[in-house]
Amino acid sequence: MTEKQLAVHCQHIGKTYQAGGQKIVALNDIKLEIALGELMMLVGPSGCGKTTLISVIAGILDQDEGSCALFGEDLQQMRSKDKLNFRARNIGFVFQAYNLLPSLTAVENVSVPLIINGVKRAVAERKAGEILELVGLGTRTKSLPAQLSGGQQQRVAIARALVHSPRLIVCDEPTSALDHETGQTVMGLLKDVALHADRALVIVTHDARIFNFADRIAKMDDGHITSVGAVNGLLG
Amino acid sequence: MNHIALKMLMGDKGKYLGIVMGLTFASLIMTQQPAIFVGLMSRSYSFISDVGLPDIWVMDPKVQFVDDIKPLQDTELYRVRGISGVQWAMPMYKGLLKARLTDGTFQTCNVIGLDDTTLIGGPPIMLSGKIEDLRRSDSVIVDIDGARDKLGKPSPTSGGKRIPLAVGDTLELNDHRAIVVGIAKVTRTFQSQPVVYTTYSRAKSYAPRERKLLSFVLVKAKPGQDIAQLTRRIRAATGLSAYSHNEFKELTYNYFMKNTGIPINFGISVALGFIVGAAVAGQTFYNFTLENLRQFGVLKAMGANNLTLLRMILLQAVLVGSIGYGLGVGLTALFGHAMRHTILAFKFPWQLLIFSGAGVSLICVFAALISIIKVIRLEPAIVFKS
Amino acid sequence: MTLKYLLPLLALLGFIFAAYTVVSSNKPMPVAAAVVEPAFAPFPSYIAGSGIIEAKSQNIAVGTPLSGIVERITVKVGENVKAGVPLFYLDDRQTRAELAVKRADLLKARAEVSVAQATVKDVQSLSQLAQAVTDKRAISSEELLKRNNAVQVAKAKLDSALALVQQAEAALLNTQTSLDRLVVRAPVEGEVLQVNIRPGEFASAGFLNTPLLVLGNLQQLHVRVDIDENDAWRFVKNNKAVAYLRGNRQFKADLTLAYVEPFVVPKKSLTGDSTERVDTRVLQALYSFDRQQIPVYVGQQMDVFIEAKDYTADTTAEPSS
Repeated sequence: MTEKQLAVHCQHIGKTYQAGGQKIVALNDIKLEIALGELMMLVGPSGCGKTTLISVIAGILDQDEGSCALFGEDLQQMRSKDKLNFRARNIGFVFQAYNLLPSLTAVENVSVPLIINGVKRAVAERKAGEILELVGLGTRTKSLPAQLSGGQQQRVAIARALVHSPRLIVCDEPTSALDHETGQTVMGLLKDVALHADRALVIVTHDARIFNFADRIAKMDDGHITSVGAVNGLLG
Repeated sequence: MNHIALKMLMGDKGKYLGIVMGLTFASLIMTQQPAIFVGLMSRSYSFISDVGLPDIWVMDPKVQFVDDIKPLQDTELYRVRGISGVQWAMPMYKGLLKARLTDGTFQTCNVIGLDDTTLIGGPPIMLSGKIEDLRRSDSVIVDIDGARDKLGKPSPTSGGKRIPLAVGDTLELNDHRAIVVGIAKVTRTFQSQPVVYTTYSRAKSYAPRERKLLSFVLVKAKPGQDIAQLTRRIRAATGLSAYSHNEFKELTYNYFMKNTGIPINFGISVALGFIVGAAVAGQTFYNFTLENLRQFGVLKAMGANNLTLLRMILLQAVLVGSIGYGLGVGLTALFGHAMRHTILAFKFPWQLLIFSGAGVSLICVFAALISIIKVIRLEPAIVFKS
Repeated sequence: MTLKYLLPLLALLGFIFAAYTVVSSNKPMPVAAAVVEPAFAPFPSYIAGSGIIEAKSQNIAVGTPLSGIVERITVKVGENVKAGVPLFYLDDRQTRAELAVKRADLLKARAEVSVAQATVKDVQSLSQLAQAVTDKRAISSEELLKRNNAVQVAKAKLDSALALVQQAEAALLNTQTSLDRLVVRAPVEGEVLQVNIRPGEFASAGFLNTPLLVLGNLQQLHVRVDIDENDAWRFVKNNKAVAYLRGNRQFKADLTLAYVEPFVVPKKSLTGDSTERVDTRVLQALYSFDRQQIPVYVGQQMDVFIEAKDYTADTTAEPSS
């Protein structure tokens, strides 16, 4: 694994929350390495710390202990402005609830990451149109999220995660709101369109039906990674 | 990002209209109420405004405002005339006299006596007749509002509209005959009594017997003469009070401010309007941001920095603010336009445009500020929560 | 998305309308210009006063020494009269009757003198006759004394009769003077300015509010300027003065001082009412001017400005070296 460049390299990550005077340990001594070109799934029961872990990986949340390097750079050491720029350039997000801006059309929603990165609106929307074509929504570019089905919305969200060519895509329960068939289509799309050699995917899920899309699966429980391994091994 | 901000704002038409309407209401109430207030207050000195020719008004030192007449001796006129820097000085009589109408009712009128020769201080706009007609015997000029309403002749049918007083009609002023030779337009005064113009000497004969009858001496300064210096000189030389045009307005205005309940009543009304407007608009705008907090979180997670988000919120605030402001002042102007022929006091000076603009801005900035704090404090991690 | 453009457009329209209202509704009321330009002084510092035109001779309110009914008036308003010309006649019938009586009295007195003279002659001749008798016996001394005394008495009677003539003459003269006084004559040469009596009216002697007849010399006019007693201290006799005609300040005349009335009088404010108010006391200065300069009439008011030193400026301006 060392010959491949690491997209994510987490060491001894710990994170605790204060909630109602009680200390809740969300993450405890997490070690995780994700290589470029790899699709890593984080699975585990609710409250096991999956979301906290990807928040830390994506640089949205600061860890209390340990270090987490993205493409060899430690986000926690960066100034917040640089961190934001880094995140804007290098990370794409797909959320469980899609989180599309409801008053923006599909193409406008997709162009948002580019606009955040300072690309002109016309250019960004042209690029967004191309990506939408790629995810099979070339005809629905002017539709508002409310006019699209769940699968279509998630495809728009994927297009949005891809549009600025990030090196890491973080997906939070991408299929939980979708039926089986649509979930399979979306995952296929993610694997086919999103994943390539210069990019890593981290998918948080507990949807067992999509485990077979993963290259490796990290199983979490109670703030620990209990096991990391290939799909078959885990399932068995 | 501006485009996105605008889309976010206008995406939900209901909410968008709600915010705009709240601000429109705030701006309307912040403009319309003060406009009535300013209109009412400006009526207190409208007589001074109408007499535009003289620079300085000379009167008894104890005079507190324009309707507070403390007459002078006639010779004071010549003393004022003899002060260097005075181009001319003219007498003016102003007093309340009872007019007896043809149907026998009495009406108190504001009688203005102008210098017999020059007729300085006359009504600004003549609707019919000429000011010179005052030279005719027993002649008076009546203001249009008085002629239409309070001095009007009774309607032939009971309960009908009064017939306006016209040129050629007669009045009885303090048992003296007076013939209307002209109808003038004057700005309404605070008491809204009919205004009757006549010459100084005739006014003296109409007025009840008093030793002193000279109400004001109207002074024009010589070209190039410093007005403030001249007022000081007149005060020093005669021991009378001398006020420039604006000082006299201010004196009258301040008297009304201090001695009537108008400022307090309207102040409370304006303040209440401001607070209600601010509350409605601020609340709506804050709610809007709160509901969009998730969207801001998404943007924040995707790497939009606080400055960008701040700009977005400010843009939204400025937009709804200016729309609400424009609609509010427009409605106020419409209100004033609709009421222009009624007795309602309404004055819309440019300062009021700025005042309500500042008020709306304040509301928007305040609402935006709270929203911005909320957004800046926002943890982008919420986006992962469903 | 019509709302996107509609609301801002409406707002813009609203603002424009408000701005228009602001501009249009706040236009100041036009300034009513003076019907005629007021007069103003050509001096930097001056005393202002109102002047009234009068004849140089002053206006003579002609009175009558005797009260009576006016019989006829021999002059008209505007007529020039020489000194001594009769102006009007009072009813003189009674005085004339008296004159006739007085004349008869005189005649009677004269007749009495003739009688007395005759008596003197008579008693004198009797006395001379008695004196001429040398014989003392022919005439008693008593008789002689009696005749002499009779002469003395007759002479005294003559004197008395002469005195009575004089008295009658004086009485006649007196009545004639009375008659003459019933004719009111012009005291000076001048123009009749006012006639306030008609034949048949009663003219009473003494001071009257409305003079019977006003006479003045209009060859030269004076303007009597009222200077407020408060301003009197600033008045300097030889300073320049200008008078403006009321109603048109194009008409002005330079004034030269004729004299100042040394007595400060109460100023009357003429209201046309039966009660006149006295409001202040005024110093009156009389100025003469060239009558050709302005068309004036006696009794007309003028605005007068008299140059004066600027005292007020001293208090406000910094002291000059």
